[in-house]
Amino acid sequence: MKIRNYWNLRDFGANLWENAGRPVRVAIVLGSILLVGLLPFMGGSILATPIAAFDAVLVYPVGMFVLMSLGLNIVVGKSGMLDLGYVAFFAIGAYTMAYLGTTTNLNTWEIMPIGIALAMIAGVLLGIPTLRLRGDYLAIVTLGFGEIVRLILLNSTWSKGPNGIANIPMPPDLGPLKFELKNQRVFFWVVMAMILLTIWMIRRLTVRRPGRAWEAIRQDEDAAELMGIHTLKYKIWSFTLGAAVGGAAGVLFASKNLYIAPEMFTLNVSILILACVVFGGIGNIWGVVIGAAILGYLPDRIRFISDARLLAFGLVLVVVMNFRPDGLLPRKKREKAIVKREANA
Amino acid sequence: MAKIGKTLLKLDNVTMKFGGVTALNGVNLEVKEGEILALIGPNGAGKTTVFNVITGVYKQTSGVVDFDGISLGDQKRYQVTALGVARTFQNIRLWGDMTALENVITATDVHKKSGLVGALFGFPRARREEEENREKAMEILRFIGIDEYSDRLAKNLPYGVQRRLEIARALGTSPKLVLLDEPAAGFNPAEKVELAATIKRVRDAGYTVLLIEHDMSLIMGISDRVVVLDFGTKIADDIPSVVQNDPRVIEAYLGVPADAS
Ligand SMILES: Nc1ncnc2c1ncn2[C@@H]1O[C@H](COP(=O)(O)OP(=O)(O)OP(=O)(O)O)[C@@H](O)[C@H]1O
Ligand SMILES: [Mg+2]
Repeated sequence: MKIRNYWNLRDFGANLWENAGRPVRVAIVLGSILLVGLLPFMGGSILATPIAAFDAVLVYPVGMFVLMSLGLNIVVGKSGMLDLGYVAFFAIGAYTMAYLGTTTNLNTWEIMPIGIALAMIAGVLLGIPTLRLRGDYLAIVTLGFGEIVRLILLNSTWSKGPNGIANIPMPPDLGPLKFELKNQRVFFWVVMAMILLTIWMIRRLTVRRPGRAWEAIRQDEDAAELMGIHTLKYKIWSFTLGAAVGGAAGVLFASKNLYIAPEMFTLNVSILILACVVFGGIGNIWGVVIGAAILGYLPDRIRFISDARLLAFGLVLVVVMNFRPDGLLPRKKREKAIVKREANA
Repeated sequence: MAKIGKTLLKLDNVTMKFGGVTALNGVNLEVKEGEILALIGPNGAGKTTVFNVITGVYKQTSGVVDFDGISLGDQKRYQVTALGVARTFQNIRLWGDMTALENVITATDVHKKSGLVGALFGFPRARREEEENREKAMEILRFIGIDEYSDRLAKNLPYGVQRRLEIARALGTSPKLVLLDEPAAGFNPAEKVELAATIKRVRDAGYTVLLIEHDMSLIMGISDRVVVLDFGTKIADDIPSVVQNDPRVIEAYLGVPADAS
């Protein structure tokens, strides 16, 4: 019993946080942000990746995976809807950037809100008719939506079909921070900022009315509706917020990759991101962050994995899910800790 | 004893068919403000179906359900709750991974105004409503007598507490009418007595109660009126002492004519 507690990272972290005063909390947050922010300078250390540059790996896949996993987690983890077409929102963000970036004078920061808005609109349009469906049906419809978006991109002239869009502009500099492909640390910091914003948003919503509504819907949708929750509204909100995060990730991705094509937005991406969420701990923000970071990073760190990324993904998932069926950091609420504290008091 | 007032809920000739099964057959039913009305009948008589029709789980095949002058048949399920009808479930359907307190808080949300944006930016109204919700939920848990379990996950609560939490959650929506579907199922006699007292307190606090229950002694003790369903048809509607001796009711329950026994 005792020993297990030491290994329960989730409870350990939560205890640390709950017992800390405000200054300590601020210190923990700032310290962690600083540590993670310094990661791009660690390229020479044991963390180094053999093929791609370390700072590039940090942006994509690691940072992008984390961001998208957090977005998908709002849909899958918080409100319990299986979305297999998440890549569609990523694609919408990316193509908004690519199209507007190459045909207008708008820069990345100006296109960002447009990309987010378009992804959200797509979320609402898809959500209103389909979110009445549940479980497997919803999974199939979203899967279809992901494919439809890809096929539209593949067959439209404005998107240049299978050739994709090249020469997408990079973001303009942020004061002294210059965006470079040679050294992508500024990109990484931007992704980090977006991740932090997303985490802030999810945490805020989770402890208040929307989070409770999602939680109720996930656990028993009929009971939720009969207790007065406008389930469709909250499901659409969840879907739309997830879409917004995916769209934002897409805009930044296009502006970093400088070239995008429909083949980058296949069902595989949706499944990889879903795998990150499930692997890390569906519904648990920190689990999702860690899961996505690991699954994004490992294939680049270990050379033989990068050749068979998907195979390795599958293997890791099968193994880990056998030992930790709820992911690395499961969502389960910590009732025991609460009771124990009462007993001590 | 609470004063019994005007008609709050009225089922007018309600029929509910599931394919070939007629679960409710032209049922008329009135619930008056401030009363405890018991709905009884053998297994499969259509009692739960009455609740399901009232709360919008099913749309009646024909007939009208009128609540406080509003036809419930045109309302969405969540709107029915917002109008003031709350229910419990025969087979407990709490949100197991939420604490007892959270279960009730989530129910109290139905009458709150603040939405997603307010929650996100912590607008004063959202903050105030959060605070009010918590206090009100705690008060309800105390009222039902399960406040000591407030921080426990619903799924880990003892069975009897779960049943009571179902009632607390229903009260969380500030209903005018509470529908209780076999709240004493699986209780021992002592627990039943305690629950009867709780239901009385709920009524005395100003709620109107429509109660499905099998235990006759519990019903006779607390209800103002008893409605008996058999095969989807209402066969009796009167004060407990009269219903108890109604030969048709005895027949429905025992399966034989009363005078044959
Ligand atoms: N969704 C449904 N589909 C088909 N038949 C149904 C449905 N719901 C109820 N029924 C049928 O309607 C009849 C009444 O069921 P109901 O659940 O209302 O009975 P009840 O009086 O609550 O019984 P119990 O005391 O066992 O809870 C039964 O014959 C049941 O099989
Ligand atoms: Mg029933």
